[in-house]
Amino acid sequence: MTNDNGSNDAVVIERTLDAPVNRVWEMWTRPEHFRAWYGPMGASIPSADMDVRVGGKRLVAMEMQTPNGSMQMWFTGEYLTVDPTSLLVYTESMSDETGRVVPPTEMGMPDGHPEVTEVVVELTPDGDGTKMVLTHRGVPADSPGATGWNIALDKLITHLADTAGR
Amino acid sequence: MTTLVDDRLSETFAALANPVRRSILAHLAEGEATVNELARPFDMTLPAISRHIRVLERAGLVTQGRRAQYRPCTLDAEPLRDVASWAEQYRPIWEGRFDRMEEYLRTLDDNQKDEP
Repeated sequence: MTNDNGSNDAVVIERTLDAPVNRVWEMWTRPEHFRAWYGPMGASIPSADMDVRVGGKRLVAMEMQTPNGSMQMWFTGEYLTVDPTSLLVYTESMSDETGRVVPPTEMGMPDGHPEVTEVVVELTPDGDGTKMVLTHRGVPADSPGATGWNIALDKLITHLADTAGR
Repeated sequence: MTTLVDDRLSETFAALANPVRRSILAHLAEGEATVNELARPFDMTLPAISRHIRVLERAGLVTQGRRAQYRPCTLDAEPLRDVASWAEQYRPIWEGRFDRMEEYLRTLDDNQKDEP
């Protein structure tokens, strides 16, 4: 999968939901609704602060039950585009409870995990329902070295995929 | 996202975080090659190149034949596919979330119908 950055670090998911766009928009923008569905399997969302306007911050806590007790993870970010009921774009980074960004490797994520990811939610009315397209992609780091590395890796992977087949 | 996958990704990235090793992989993408052939573009000793090959071997990216004289290295691109698709690890997480969003939307609908 290739996006605008020439990077293959993106996941795109399309769903058609049996609810009007304004209702689906609230799923993403109202904390009480967001918390109800956002937690991955086995996780809950004890708090979600969402200042849904361009430049507004978000801070979401995720709580998981592990054999060693409960574990909390925090995610922060900023709203980049807020176009009610059609387009929502926000960034996401791992952070501590104050919203200070923590490098993914410190959180035990693999080296290739980008520090900042971007979530794009596109909503379109579809009859009485809503077509929802989610794009979650890595945002290349600012440093030229990191970008060069990403490009080199992408090229290598493309090259290997072409020559090695599947 | 399992720890096992994370560990393997870390190992793959560690192996890739070196220009000599990336160049070796690119060379092997063209076909198998001996250590001598792989060493040619570099101003490095054979033992030094062999050390890089061993790192790639440990990461599962390269396999080396065991025949005494001619021990060609071959590429195994499988671990790279995991690297290529790190974002894909998020797919099942998002799919699960959207399943729950659908369920939640249904409960909201039901509650509204119950209201007079």
